Amino acid sequence: QSTRITGTVTSGDDGTALPGVSIVEKGTTNGTVTDAEGRYSLNVSENAILVFSFVGFQSQEISVAGKSVIDIPLNSDVTALTEVVVVGYGQQEKKDVTGVVAAVNEQSFNKGAIVSPDMLISGKIAGVQITSNSGEPGGQSSIRIRGGTSLNASNEPLYVIDGVPIDNSAFNPGGFSSGRNPLNFINPNDIETFTVLKDASAAAIYGSRAANGVIIITTKKGKSGLPTVSYDGWFSTGRIADRLDVFTADQFREVIAAKAPQHLNKLGTANTDWQDEIYQNATGQSHNITFSGGTEKTTYRASVSHQKQEGIIKTSSTERTSFSMGLTQKMLNDDLSVTANVKGARTQDRFSPGVVGAAMEMDPTQPIYDATSPWGGYFVWKNEAGDYERQATINPVSTLNLVEERGTSNRSIGNVQFDYKIRPIKGLSANVNLGYDLATGDRDRFQPSNYFAVASDTGEIKIENYTRVSQLLESYLNYKRSFENISSTLDFTAGYSWQDWNSEYPSLRATRLTDNGYGVSNPSVAKKVEAFNSVLENRLISFFGRLNYGYKDKYLLTASLRRDGSTRFGAANRWGTFHSAAFAWRVIDESFMEGLTDIFTDLKLKVGYGVNGNQEIGDYKYLATYTPSTLTAQYQLGNSFVTTVRPNGYDANLKWEETTSYNIGLEYGFLNGRLSGSLDFYRKDTKDLLFERAVPAGSNLTNIVLSNIGEIKNTGVELTIDAVAVSKPDLTWNISFNTSYNKNEIVALDGSDEPTFKGYETGDISGGVGNYIQILKVGQPAYSFYVYKQKYGADGKPLVNGVDHNEDGKTDLADMYEDVSGDGAVNDQDRRPFQQRAPKVMFGLTSQVNYKKFDLSFTLRSSLGNYVYNNVASNTANFIRANDNFVPRNMLTSVLETNFTSPQYFSDYYVEKASFLRMDNLSLGYTATNLFDTSAKFRLYGTVQNLFVITDYSGLDPEVFSGIDNNLYPRSRTFIVGVNVTF
Amino acid sequence: CTDLDVKPKSSATGDVIFNNSQAYLQFLARLYAGLAISGQQGPAGNPDIKGIDEGFSNYLRQYWKAQELTTDEAVIGWNDGTLPTYHLHTWTAQNEFINAMFNRIYFQVSMTNEFLRETTDGKLDERDATDAIRADVKVYRAEARFLRALSYWHGLDMFGSIPLVTEESTVGTEASEQATKQEVFDFIESELKAIETELVDARANGYGRADKAAAWTLLAKLYLNAKVYTGQDKNTECIAYCQKVIDAGFELDSDYATLFTLDNVNSDEIIFTINFDGNYTQTYGGMTFLVHASIGGAMTATDYGVNTGWAGLRTTKNLVNLFPDETGATDSRAIFYRNDQSKEIPNTPITTFKEGYAVPKFRNINSDGESGSSLEFVDTDFPVFRLADVYLMYAEAVERGGTGGSEASSVSYINALRQRAYGNATGNIDADDITLNFIIDERARELYWEGHRRTDLVRFGLFTDSEDNNLRAIWPWKGEVAAGKETESFRDVFPLPSSQIIANPKLEQNDGY
Repeated sequence: QSTRITGTVTSGDDGTALPGVSIVEKGTTNGTVTDAEGRYSLNVSENAILVFSFVGFQSQEISVAGKSVIDIPLNSDVTALTEVVVVGYGQQEKKDVTGVVAAVNEQSFNKGAIVSPDMLISGKIAGVQITSNSGEPGGQSSIRIRGGTSLNASNEPLYVIDGVPIDNSAFNPGGFSSGRNPLNFINPNDIETFTVLKDASAAAIYGSRAANGVIIITTKKGKSGLPTVSYDGWFSTGRIADRLDVFTADQFREVIAAKAPQHLNKLGTANTDWQDEIYQNATGQSHNITFSGGTEKTTYRASVSHQKQEGIIKTSSTERTSFSMGLTQKMLNDDLSVTANVKGARTQDRFSPGVVGAAMEMDPTQPIYDATSPWGGYFVWKNEAGDYERQATINPVSTLNLVEERGTSNRSIGNVQFDYKIRPIKGLSANVNLGYDLATGDRDRFQPSNYFAVASDTGEIKIENYTRVSQLLESYLNYKRSFENISSTLDFTAGYSWQDWNSEYPSLRATRLTDNGYGVSNPSVAKKVEAFNSVLENRLISFFGRLNYGYKDKYLLTASLRRDGSTRFGAANRWGTFHSAAFAWRVIDESFMEGLTDIFTDLKLKVGYGVNGNQEIGDYKYLATYTPSTLTAQYQLGNSFVTTVRPNGYDANLKWEETTSYNIGLEYGFLNGRLSGSLDFYRKDTKDLLFERAVPAGSNLTNIVLSNIGEIKNTGVELTIDAVAVSKPDLTWNISFNTSYNKNEIVALDGSDEPTFKGYETGDISGGVGNYIQILKVGQPAYSFYVYKQKYGADGKPLVNGVDHNEDGKTDLADMYEDVSGDGAVNDQDRRPFQQRAPKVMFGLTSQVNYKKFDLSFTLRSSLGNYVYNNVASNTANFIRANDNFVPRNMLTSVLETNFTSPQYFSDYYVEKASFLRMDNLSLGYTATNLFDTSAKFRLYGTVQNLFVITDYSGLDPEVFSGIDNNLYPRSRTFIVGVNVTF
Repeated sequence: CTDLDVKPKSSATGDVIFNNSQAYLQFLARLYAGLAISGQQGPAGNPDIKGIDEGFSNYLRQYWKAQELTTDEAVIGWNDGTLPTYHLHTWTAQNEFINAMFNRIYFQVSMTNEFLRETTDGKLDERDATDAIRADVKVYRAEARFLRALSYWHGLDMFGSIPLVTEESTVGTEASEQATKQEVFDFIESELKAIETELVDARANGYGRADKAAAWTLLAKLYLNAKVYTGQDKNTECIAYCQKVIDAGFELDSDYATLFTLDNVNSDEIIFTINFDGNYTQTYGGMTFLVHASIGGAMTATDYGVNTGWAGLRTTKNLVNLFPDETGATDSRAIFYRNDQSKEIPNTPITTFKEGYAVPKFRNINSDGESGSSLEFVDTDFPVFRLADVYLMYAEAVERGGTGGSEASSVSYINALRQRAYGNATGNIDADDITLNFIIDERARELYWEGHRRTDLVRFGLFTDSEDNNLRAIWPWKGEVAAGKETESFRDVFPLPSSQIIANPKLEQNDGY
C-alpha cells in the first residue's frame, strides 16, 4: 500500500525554502529532491521512514505514520563535521584534514560596497592580515599569512582560482599599472569560498610558490533544480572620515607674520580650504544578475554584473563589467565529469593624480583661479624674479582638473577540467585541467601643455600597455579506497603541472606637446617621443604527489612531495624539492572519549612540518645580460651621440628561498557543537633569503646584487572560536572570534657578525631625498623604525631644535637626542631600532544575529603593537614650511605642539603607536520570503562601512601597511543600501 | 616536457651582444658615460648602482660634493640624509654619500674590467673580428684603462688603502684584498705609463675622448699629491708631465667665464671633459645638478638657461674674501650673485639659500645668452682637466722643490691666468710673490667649484687641522660651529663605507673611524 506525501523543506535558520534536499525512503532506493521552492512529493509505503538530508544541514528522519503532508525545517549542521574543504588538487572532508586550512564561506563575508575580493575576508581568519593600501576605490591590498618570510622576494600568497594558479603581481613592472588590484576582475558576488592554506603541510602541494601560503578561491556553481534568477544591487555613498588639521587662511597670515615676515608680500587675499576642493562625496552602485539551475547530469550558472564606484578624491573612480559562466556535465554513466569555467571582466579606472600633499600645504590665502594665468586659468606661484616657480606647491585643483589618467584592464581566466573514473581499478580516477589566464590593458596619462608642472617638458602623453598570457596544463591520478579488513583508508594523488607565462609591456612617452586638442590619441603632436618595450617569459614545471593514510579513521597521516623546475634560476639550481608531512589524531573518536560526548563534540590534535619555496623575484636575474641605453642616456664621443650598452650585475648561483614550517594545533568542539574552533602554534624558518646584498666592491658589475643570504623567523599562535550564542526558532546569534600573535625576527643577514653594523636602511620617506626611516637588522623584526631617542622637557614636549639645551656651545644633535651609544657624541650611530610596523596581535570579531525576518551583523577588527611613522607630521609640522626658500607652505597645526623650526625626520617622536579597533562594517537586513505565494525571496539591507576607528594615532588613519604614513589616499566612511531578489 | 631554457627577448645575453660590431664602441661609450649619467634610461630609470636615490648616485655629483661641500668653497642647503655632515666635518662610515662615491668608483672599475675581459685577442679571435675592429679596440682598451686609472686615483685620494680589482677577476661576490696606498699608487702610475703610447696623440682624438694629454695630466696630479699618498715627493716627475701637456698645443681661452658655459665645447684650454646634453645625455646629477642647485633667491633661472633653481649651493665668505673685490670688477673670476644674499651664514641648519653668496659659475647658456637645448637638462660639459690647472700644478711643483722647471716659467704661467682675470697686467705677480699660501689661494680663485678643493687642501695640510694655525683651515660651520674650527686629522681621508666593511671582511677601516 503506498501513500503520497507532499511538503516543503525549509531552513531552520531563516525559514527560506531549501531546494535540492534529498528525500529517501529509508532502506530503499526510492527518493526525490525538493524543487526550487523546497517542495517535494513522493509515493512511499505507509509505515515508511523518510530521511531528509542536505549538505550543511543535519539529516532528519521522520516517520510517515499516516501523515500526507510533512513540512519540515532542517537545522544547519553547526558542527560542520561533514564540511568539505578544498585543498590543492582535490578536496577533503574537514575532519580528515591534517594541515591548517581555514575556509570562509559567502555567509560570513564582509558586507558592503566591496570592489576588491580580498576585502571580503579581512578580519575573518586568524593570522591573516589583509590591509588595503589606501582608500582608493578597488585599491591594491597587502596580504600576509603568518607574517612575512622574505625581504626582497614577494610576500604575497599564491592565488588559485577554480584550479588555476594566477599571477597576482601588479600589472606593470614599471609601476604605471592599468588597474589597481589585480584581483578586481573577479566579481565578489561570484565567489563562494575563500580557503586559506596556512601551514606548510597544507600548502606544500604548491611547493615553490607556497612559502607565503595559498588562497584558493572557489566560485559559485549551479545546483540541480529549476532555473532561478536573482538580482543583487546596491547604492552607496562615501565621505571622508577625517581631514588633516592645517591653518586656516587667517591663522596662516598670523603665522607668516610671526615666523616668516619676508613672505608676507606673497600672501593673497583669498580664503581657500584646499582640502575641501579635492574631496567629494563618492557614490557607487552595483548590479548583478545571476541565472542558475540544472538537472542531475548538468548544472549551470551564469552571471553578469556592473559596478561603478567613485573615489572620495575628485575624478577617481573604478567601473567594472564582468561575466562568469560555469557548466558541469556528467557523462558515461557519471564516470566522466566535465567542468568548464570562464570568467571575464573589463575594468576601467580613472586615477586621481597625487594631490593630498599639495592640498595640505598649499597656501590658503591664494585663490584657486587667476584670470591672468596662462596655465589653464589656475593660480600658479611666481618667484621673486616674476617667473612662474616650478619648485613651489603646484595648485592641486589644476592638477585634478587638467591631468587625466585612465586605465583599462581586460582579464579572463578559464579552465576545463575532466574527471574520469577509471573503472577497472576501483577508486582510481584521472583528472586533467587545462586553463588560461589572459590579461591585456593600458594606462594613459594626459598632461596638457597648459598644466604647470615641476618638469618643463610641457605637456605629456604617457601610454603603457601590457599583454600577459598564462597557459596551464595539469594532470593527476587519484587513487582513493578504504580497506576495511585492515581499517585503513588510502587517498593517493600524483601529477604533473606545466605553466608558462608570457608578457609584453610596450610603452610610449611623448612630451612637448604642440596641441592639446587630441588628448592621448595623437602622440604625433609631440616634439619628443620615446618608446620602450619589455618582453618577459617564465615557466614552471612540476611533479607532485600526496598520500593521505587513515587508520581506523582516527590516525591520519599526510605526506606530500613536489619537485619544481623554474626558469628563474640557472641550470645548477633550477630544480627544487619541497616536502611535507603531517599527522592528526582524532581524539574524539577514541573509545575513552565516549563518556565525554556530552562535553566534547570534536577533538583533534595535529602536528605538521613542511618545506616550501619562494621564487617571486622577476625573470632572468641569474643571467649575464646587457641593457642598451635609451636615446636620452647616450654619450657624446667625437661628433656623435653613441647609444651605450651596460653589462648588468647578477649572481649566477641564485636559488630558491626556502621556508621550513612547523605547526602543532588542535581542533575542538564543545557543548553539542555550540562552541568550536582551533588553536595552533607555528614556527617558520626561512633560509637562503633572496636579498639584495651589497657585494664586495669590484667583485660584480654593480654594488647590490640579489643573492641568497640571510635567515628570517616567524613564530606565532592562532586561536579561533566559533560560538552559537543563541539558537532558537526565531532568534539565532553566531559569533566568530579569531586572534593571532606573530613574532618576526631577522636571524641572519649579510654582516650579522659585525657588531658595529647598523643593518640595511629601507623605507624612504618624504622630505629630503634618500632619507630612510626603517632598518633591516639582525635580532630585530623586519622593518623596525630606525630613529634617535628624543629628549623631552619638563612640560612633556620634545625639546625644540636650534637651542643649546646642553649648553656646550653648539647647537647640534646632542641638544635634542640621547647619546644612545654612550660614546659622548650624538651622531648617526645613535639611531637605534625602535618598534615595528607589523601588528604583534590581531583580533577579528564577527557577530551575526537573525531575529525573525531581521538580520544584524558586524565585523570588528583590531591590531595591537603596530607602529606608524607619521611622515606627514615629521615633514610638515615645522616652521621651515613657512620659511621655505621658494614660497610659504601650510603646516599641520600640531607644529604648535613642538615649535620645531626645521624638520626632525629621525626623531622617535614621530614613531607613533598605531594600535586600533575598527568596525569594518555594520549591516541590518530584512528578508521577506514566499512573495506573492511563490518561492520569490526579497532582502533589503543597509550597511555602514568603516563606521569607526578607535586609536591613539594622531594621523588620519592608523592602518598603514608600510608603516610610513605619507599622504595616503584616505579611507572613506561608506553608507550602502541594497536589495537582493530571487525568483 | 621539462624544457626550462628561456632566453631573454628584450635584453641581450653576453654571447649575442658582440655580434654587433658597434658593441665595442657602445661599451666604451658606457665607460665614459659612467661619469655623466646615472643609469640606462635618461634622466633616471634602470640605475647603475642601488641603495641611493638615482639622481644622487651620479658620479660627478658625488665627486663634486665630496670635494667641495667638505671645504670652504661650498655649502648646501638640503636635508638629504647625512648630506649636511659633509660641511660640518661629522661624517661617519655610515654616510650614504660616501658609500655612493665608493660604489661609483668601483662601478667604473668593474665596467672597465669587464670591457677588458671582453676585448682580449682571444675573444676577438672567437668572434672573427676584422682588422679594422682590432685596430679600434686597441685604442679603446687604452682609453678604458685611462678611465679606470682616473677612478682609482679618486679612490686613492679619498679613501686611501682600497682593494685593487683588475680584469684578472671574475664576476661574482668574491672579496678582494685591500691594497696599500703605495700599491694603488704604483698601479695607477704603471697603467698610465703603459697606455701612454697607445693613446691617440694630444688633441687628436674625438671630442670627449681621452688622449695622451689626459693621461699626462692625471700622472701630473698623481705625482703632485704623491707625498700624501706614499710619503714621497714626486714633484720633479710632476713638472715633467706638466711640461708635456703645456707643450702639446693647448691655449688659454680668452674669456674665463666661457669655460663653464655652452661655449666650452670650442675650448682650446680644456684637456678632458665629462659630456652632457639636454636631449641625449640626461641626468639629475652632473651639470644639471650644478646649474640648478646654484640658483635660488631672487635669481632668475632663465638667465642661466634653466627653468628653475633648486636653491641649494652657495659659498662661504672665505672664498669671497680671496678676491680683491667681490663684484668681479677687478678679478673677473669672482662670479658671485649677491643681490639679496648675505655673505655670512649665521643660522643652522644652513638651509636658507639667501645666507651665503650664490655662485652661478656653471651655466646652460652661451656667450650670446642663448640657452641650451633643454631648460631642464643642461648641455654644458664639465671641464675635468684644463690647462690653467696644469700651469698652477707646474708652479706648485717648482715651489715645492721639483727640478726640471723654472720659476720664470711659473711666473709667466700664473700671470697668464691673472691677465685673463684682470683684463690687464695690474694683477700680475713676480717670483717673490709665489709662496705655497699664494698658490693655494690662487688655485681657489682660478679653480673653485671645479672639484679640486678637498684634494688641494689636504695636500697643503689645511683640510682638517693645520700645523701652524693657518686661518685657511677654518671656515664657517666647519666642526659644527658658526665661526668654524679645526677638525680631527683622520678626516683627511673618508672612512671606507660600513657596507663594504661588512661585504668584504678583508678590509680594515681607516684610522679614526
